[in-house]
Amino acid sequence: MNMVSSVQTAKKLSGSLVPSPAAAKPLAVVGGVLAIVAALLPWVTFRFNDGPYPELATLQFFDAPLQVTGFRLHLLLFGVAAVAVALVPKVPGRGRVLRALGWGVFAVSLVTTVFIVGLGGGLGAATAADGASAFGGIVGVLAGLLLVLSAAATGVGEVPRWSTDVPKPVAWLALLLAFACVLYLVSLTLTAGGLGGASNPYAGPVFLAFLGMAGGLLGALNGVGLVKWISVLSERHRGFSIVVLLLCALALPLTEAGTDYWMTVATTIGVYAATAIGLNVVVGLAGLLDLGYVAFMGVGAFVGANLSGAAAAKLGITLPFPVAALVAAVIAGIIGAIVGSPTLRVRGDYLAIVTLAFGEIFTRSAQNDIGGLTGGPNAIPGIPAVSIGGTAFNQPLEVGGLELPGGVLYYFMIVLVVGAVMAIFANLKNSRIGRAWIAIREDEDAARAMGIKTGRAKILAFLTGATLAGLAGAIFAHKLGTASYDSFKFLESVTLLAAVILGGMGTIPGAVLGAALLFVLPEKLREFSDYRLLIFGLALVFIMRFRPQGLVPDRVRRAELAGETAEGKSIQQVEEALVAEQESVDHAPERDAKGDRS
Amino acid sequence: MSRLLTVNGLSVAYGAIEAVRDVSFVVEEGQIVSLIGANGAGKTTTLRTISGLLRPRAGEIRFDGQRIDSLPAHTILAKGIAQCPEGRRTFGRMTVEENLQLGAYTRSDDKVEADIRRVYELFPVLGERRQQKAGLFSGGEQQMLAIGRAMMSRPRLLMLDEPSMGLSPIMTQRIFDTIRELQAQGTTILLVEQNALAALALSDRGYVIDLGATTLEGPGPELLADTRVREAYLGEG
Amino acid sequence: MTTLLQQIANGIALGATIGLIALGYTMVYGIIQLINFAHGEVFMVGAFGGLATYRWLLPEGIRGDWYLSLPLMLLGGVVVAVTVALLMERFAYRPLRNAPRLAPLITALGVSIVLQEAIRLWFPDADAAQPFPKAFLDAQIKIGPISLRATQLLLIAVSIVLSVLLQTYVNRSKMGRAMRATAQDPDTARLMGINPNRVIVLTFAIGAALAGVAGVLYGIDITNVDNAIGFQNGIFAFTAAVLGGIGSLRGAVIGAFVIGLIKTLGGQYMPGGTQYDYVWIFVVLILVLVFRPQGLFGEAERVRA
Repeated sequence: MNMVSSVQTAKKLSGSLVPSPAAAKPLAVVGGVLAIVAALLPWVTFRFNDGPYPELATLQFFDAPLQVTGFRLHLLLFGVAAVAVALVPKVPGRGRVLRALGWGVFAVSLVTTVFIVGLGGGLGAATAADGASAFGGIVGVLAGLLLVLSAAATGVGEVPRWSTDVPKPVAWLALLLAFACVLYLVSLTLTAGGLGGASNPYAGPVFLAFLGMAGGLLGALNGVGLVKWISVLSERHRGFSIVVLLLCALALPLTEAGTDYWMTVATTIGVYAATAIGLNVVVGLAGLLDLGYVAFMGVGAFVGANLSGAAAAKLGITLPFPVAALVAAVIAGIIGAIVGSPTLRVRGDYLAIVTLAFGEIFTRSAQNDIGGLTGGPNAIPGIPAVSIGGTAFNQPLEVGGLELPGGVLYYFMIVLVVGAVMAIFANLKNSRIGRAWIAIREDEDAARAMGIKTGRAKILAFLTGATLAGLAGAIFAHKLGTASYDSFKFLESVTLLAAVILGGMGTIPGAVLGAALLFVLPEKLREFSDYRLLIFGLALVFIMRFRPQGLVPDRVRRAELAGETAEGKSIQQVEEALVAEQESVDHAPERDAKGDRS
Repeated sequence: MSRLLTVNGLSVAYGAIEAVRDVSFVVEEGQIVSLIGANGAGKTTTLRTISGLLRPRAGEIRFDGQRIDSLPAHTILAKGIAQCPEGRRTFGRMTVEENLQLGAYTRSDDKVEADIRRVYELFPVLGERRQQKAGLFSGGEQQMLAIGRAMMSRPRLLMLDEPSMGLSPIMTQRIFDTIRELQAQGTTILLVEQNALAALALSDRGYVIDLGATTLEGPGPELLADTRVREAYLGEG
Repeated sequence: MTTLLQQIANGIALGATIGLIALGYTMVYGIIQLINFAHGEVFMVGAFGGLATYRWLLPEGIRGDWYLSLPLMLLGGVVVAVTVALLMERFAYRPLRNAPRLAPLITALGVSIVLQEAIRLWFPDADAAQPFPKAFLDAQIKIGPISLRATQLLLIAVSIVLSVLLQTYVNRSKMGRAMRATAQDPDTARLMGINPNRVIVLTFAIGAALAGVAGVLYGIDITNVDNAIGFQNGIFAFTAAVLGGIGSLRGAVIGAFVIGLIKTLGGQYMPGGTQYDYVWIFVVLILVLVFRPQGLFGEAERVRA
């Protein structure tokens, strides 16, 4: 009831701010031109002590005014794109494109300006000081806001749908290109700003500004309907897409990201992504809030460590890695089923507390070296690296003249594991048990009334999630070479949960994206590591407030969480659209025969 | 007679589902007006919207000439509208006396005690068990308590939602007698009932709500004689 | 025997602290069904509020006179705790009141992290444990074979008095009636003319005031505080509230004493000693939730789930 009224107030409020449609084009042109101007203006009134702050943005850049690189290049391109979109007639989804470009320009400019002000010691650094003026940042922020306003004036309609009736070779080529671009973007994003740390104070701002650009770019591509088109095509050519996607992922070491360091980061992301997908089964599909989930990863890590033949492991058993990982996954799964068993009697918030209690018991026991299995505060160090045929996974690799960085084999392994986990998740989601989980999430009593064995389904959800986490944990321990209780505390559970929520509950790309963001950001923002948790906490609050459905929302779930979609469509409309879309996918061949639809 | 409550072109939705499309009616001061209609026609939604628990999507509600459709629920009572909700909704874990005191929550005068005694006179069974938890009472007794609680605010308009639901015929008769008595004492009454026969017999005016819109209206006895009403709601024809 | 009695006394003193926090958990849950995870941090900022009052507001002259400085520190702690609680209600929880239940719970986790970090980052020197003033009340009191710190006795006394006052307020006053009505049936309460926001704000304020008092007294008792005291004691308090039957004031206090006793006695007599005292509390919590989810004193017939 309040929701209805708040939507109304929001409409009233925006009604007073939105300029008339006639103003849309001039606003967009002015905004675009300002973005170009901002790109060509100086941003800092003085030279930062270790060089022309990110790539020629300081006053001195006027020595070579047209050497526009880095974030200024992005602004320039966005500005040109905005002007073009405004002037070219019949751009599909114009409002959405302008909105995305606007937020992109805004984010890039704001991040950069804030950091210049912060590192440069005050507002003067980004305005005027000592006779020098540098208004690039302010102009950029203004340009972004103008573009967003022009988008509001244009009106944001539905995402345009492109005809997906294309011949197979065209579709394959499009998919190939698209995934190659994704690979390129991922590699650029990973390496943007370089390694964080004291030696590179600009890693954080450069990376964040890059993220703003990437977000704006993806938003714009989504706005014209390209993303939707690709996703429908990939749905239709599923086998091909999976193969290409996998190949692209395996090709990452060949890009700029192909160094020991980025391989380690990518592997860590993979481990957490696999775990997050496991958690997504429990939380996203079955709707059971688990606040102690990381304990299962811990179980997997300690079991794997104890079976690895590490000197500190007291069991003295040495199993080959695949066997150890399998045992770890199975044991974690069994414990998951045990932890899940109270779900037979306990629901909702109470269940969350039970899982929290189990998690705390695990941490406390591991901290106290229970049964001599966890090493307590000393951890279990010296876990030998995985190796196949004498090639240790942490060593660099040379294949036919191609030099691959260290840890690349771990990376390959985790890519395969994540791929497998994704396949399991996708199949589960559309299976009988997946539908049972979703039914339980929606309404447990109704699900039971419909004959679903809810108890069994819920325990199965815990078992599945815990098994995946256990497997990820075993890999984690071997990759790291050590297993310590410190890696599996309450805060890690919250972080994983946040990854699932940030990405979008119940979706695969969501969990991967969420995990990637939450584990890359701290790497990039080392300079600000003191504020890491604070920012993290604030992010949780703001996501729940402004985008509870996450970055990549599940289509039905989005409707539930937001009440209505960003487009202002009601739940019913979304469901109808979904059905229509499903039908268009299902009946594609028939339509092909009939010729063009629309 | 003056128009106490005017509802005009009311439309209310739960998300995408429109429960009330176009409801209009008038309650004159001192009258008993009933809204009748099938289950799910939108009667309860209409009352909840008047009480401010739901927000209308369109249309207006005037009480005593004043727009009230954007006021928060807790201020409606002070305007002089009390609702006795569907399913009685007494506070089961509180005593009879506490329930009545809650009915007078917005009042700060010193006549509250006297009014509580009046409720006990009207419903002696409540007076006898005033320190017992309301949850222990029968359906009919809880209905009495709910009506008494609503009266505690000394409303000008009392809205009763399905007061006869789940009650025995004898108890139903008692409740309807009470409603007539309240009218005699000067309270205007808006009655929502599925028991159309009993409700219309009692009413000065009746409105039929069908699929979220008012379709028929007229003086109570006249509607009672209308063949369309008899066919649709009284199971005749 | 002496050890047993001593540990029982210690357990009761711990239970007194936990009880004051648990009341806030149970009241908020009773009204809006929110596990306010950040309530433990309200206790923590209350302790720091008292410390700040002592450090920067109290004139040198009266610091040693406990009968002057203690009430002022309590006041400082309560003001800070209530302010923080009302801000988080207004800006974090209220916008989510009609959201799915997962949303406010995760928000509460976020608020909890923010408060811990804010104190660590911005309270001077609070990146390490902060010594609490121990200049006053530094006496040991002997009762038969057991010996308690004066501050422990103070905690027990204050806890019992405040619990009784709260119980009376909720059961007898007009606002108390409104609170119970809102807890039972918010919509019908609105039909009675009760403004739910006022009730919710009042609930948060009362809970925070109790937590603030607990924070200051706890700080004085254990003589040093850090930004982690809220998380651990908050979980204990939440467990106590669940144990007693969430929504029940009496249950929360009794649950807290039970938790206090489990911790001290478990640490003394169970295998693993104090290293595992924490574990026994959670084991009890799980057992209670599984076998008696309504808690020891909760009403089995809850109207709403």
